[in-house]
Amino acid sequence: MLTAKQIIETLRTRFDKQILGAEEKVSNQVFVRVVPDALIPVICFLNQCFSPRFLINAGTDVVQQDGKYVVSYIFSFDSEKIFLCIQVGLDSADPDIESITPIIAGANWSERETRDLVGISAKNHPDPRRLILADDWPEGVYPLRKDFPYDYRPPSEPQNKVPLKKPPEGTKVIPIGPFYPVLEEPAYFKLFVDGETIVDCDYRGFYSHRGIEKYGDSKLTYNQICFIAERICGICGFIHSTCYCEAVERAAGIEVPLRARYIRTIMLELERIHSHLLWLGIAAHIIGFDTLLMQSWRIREPVMWLCEKISGNRKTYGMNLIGGVRRDIPAEIHDEIVRVIEKIERETVEVIDAVVGDTSLHARLKNVGILKEAVARSICTVGPTVRGSGISIDSRVDHPYAAYKFVDFEVAVETGCDIWARTLVRLKETIEAVKIIKRCLLEMPDGPIMGEVMEEIPSGREAICCVEAPRGEAIHYVLTGQDNRPYRWRVRAPTYANLQCVPYIIKGERIADVPIIIGSLDPCYSCTERMAVVDVKTGQQKIYTKEEIIKR
Amino acid sequence: MFSILEKCFKKSIWVYHTNASACNGCDIEIINALTPFYDAERFGIKLVGSPRHADALLVTGAVSRQVCPRLKTLYKSVPEPKLVFAIGSCATGGGIWFDSYNLVGGVDKVIPVNFYIPGCPPRPEAILFGVAVALGLVDKKVVAEYLKEKGFPELVHERPVAESLWAK
Repeated sequence: MLTAKQIIETLRTRFDKQILGAEEKVSNQVFVRVVPDALIPVICFLNQCFSPRFLINAGTDVVQQDGKYVVSYIFSFDSEKIFLCIQVGLDSADPDIESITPIIAGANWSERETRDLVGISAKNHPDPRRLILADDWPEGVYPLRKDFPYDYRPPSEPQNKVPLKKPPEGTKVIPIGPFYPVLEEPAYFKLFVDGETIVDCDYRGFYSHRGIEKYGDSKLTYNQICFIAERICGICGFIHSTCYCEAVERAAGIEVPLRARYIRTIMLELERIHSHLLWLGIAAHIIGFDTLLMQSWRIREPVMWLCEKISGNRKTYGMNLIGGVRRDIPAEIHDEIVRVIEKIERETVEVIDAVVGDTSLHARLKNVGILKEAVARSICTVGPTVRGSGISIDSRVDHPYAAYKFVDFEVAVETGCDIWARTLVRLKETIEAVKIIKRCLLEMPDGPIMGEVMEEIPSGREAICCVEAPRGEAIHYVLTGQDNRPYRWRVRAPTYANLQCVPYIIKGERIADVPIIIGSLDPCYSCTERMAVVDVKTGQQKIYTKEEIIKR
Repeated sequence: MFSILEKCFKKSIWVYHTNASACNGCDIEIINALTPFYDAERFGIKLVGSPRHADALLVTGAVSRQVCPRLKTLYKSVPEPKLVFAIGSCATGGGIWFDSYNLVGGVDKVIPVNFYIPGCPPRPEAILFGVAVALGLVDKKVVAEYLKEKGFPELVHERPVAESLWAK
């Protein structure tokens, strides 16, 4: 099997002087510095030889230190459990770099984000429009540059409104959103339709950009970020705080006690149970099956009570700190946890039995929203979305964190490629999560829940962490800095990768299926936009609500 | 105002839920309030699919720069008389994001707010209680105070504390 050393060796032999430095900074995480001109050849070479999976890129402003902007392209070698980070230093006077989107379609948003927030534009990008910043944000103001204060609100420049794609010849335009009743969060889709059939679509999201990354590197301290990371998303908050903590712990070399890792695993799986049941309810609601909505939310509610009993809050647990967790799961409540999750398992199995044979559900969900394996790979989708297309990517196995390497479990994979397959994957995972929790409670060792943390986390270290959220993998990249806070903290939520496949999976579908197709990705815009009604005023366009769409 | 409330919202209020760049936590709790364990529908509260059918807006999240103009439009499309509930700490006063570069901070900076339900996220019981207070089903437990009189620093007291219906 390929090792980190071999990757470095291969790159060094092939590219020689174009590699400025290569180092395994953290176990199984390789950081390679290349000259800007070599970026495209290196990535092409990697694609041909190893075909690693692209995760994110992150732009960092280090102008004060060495007059450069650094872009890090992070790849994952799944079966080898290795992260590879290709870094390019760009001159601060002209921070432009060749786009990798023509080679890796999944890098599309990531490069646009780097342009918006750090001001590093990708040359020859196929779609260089604004992605993240608001319509009235002035040009040339980049919030993640170090000279930009986190609380500065630049004056409005309404002329910068993002132009939406021109509709193809002979099609009508149907805008959906940004406020629409199907999904909770704002996002704006513009569908180009020919009769009932969708030809293409355009997306304008990032209504929920809140500037969390900027807070992380300019205002808060290492331990405060754990709590703000939970508020990246109200559903999978614990996943983000775990991911952040693990990234810092890896960078600084902090050893987390085993008991704390088991506690993290238990909380993560509890979150997976409630998130999947929540999704099942919402998806059922979208297709008008409200009985299932009520049932699955009824089943879910005891998990919330359980979490409240363990952590003190129903949603934002506030349990993670760098080096461990703040609250123990005492032996007295083990029985109760087992009782609650066994009841959930029993009731979920009942629901599954009822759902699996339901022919009206089959009619709505089978062969709809097809995501082919090749497309899923090229857009780098993650989580149940990709596991429903027969690709077994699960960071609990690929890049084990918390206590997952001590726990055996089955990765649910379906080959249907449609919404039904994604539903089955999620249902199976719910049952699997119950098993993981039971196993963890049995095997959890005694001991401290907080590890030794050094007085000051050394600066200039970097690490990547991947955590499997209910929707897919969340990725956090941390570069440590001075003043007890990270220098750069980059977050990628799973929906960020998954939403990019929407144009592919709704092509050729009917308008009435659009809500459930988008819903089947379990999109979570607040994560995606972290940091994060058009009423389209022109012409005859109007907002179509779900009801109106179905009526049509 | 009392009489308008009593007259217009006596039987049942239909609510429209708006996420103005919230993290989803409050939104999930709002939906939760409608599901079997809390069952808001027993008070006649119903979630509707269009702002034009709604009596009240439930707004979550500190309003982001991109959402701000859309939220104003949305507010206009709700027929009069209307109520606005700011749900969650972010909607109440910006929460932890109050000074971020891309946020306006607090729903009351964009549209008038009648009732605040703080919490991160507020429990479904809290949301139900807030709506019940608005409908006059139960008595209010806290009274609005103006931070300015307490000598808080500039930044905090600049935030306009919207007049609640009860003060008028």
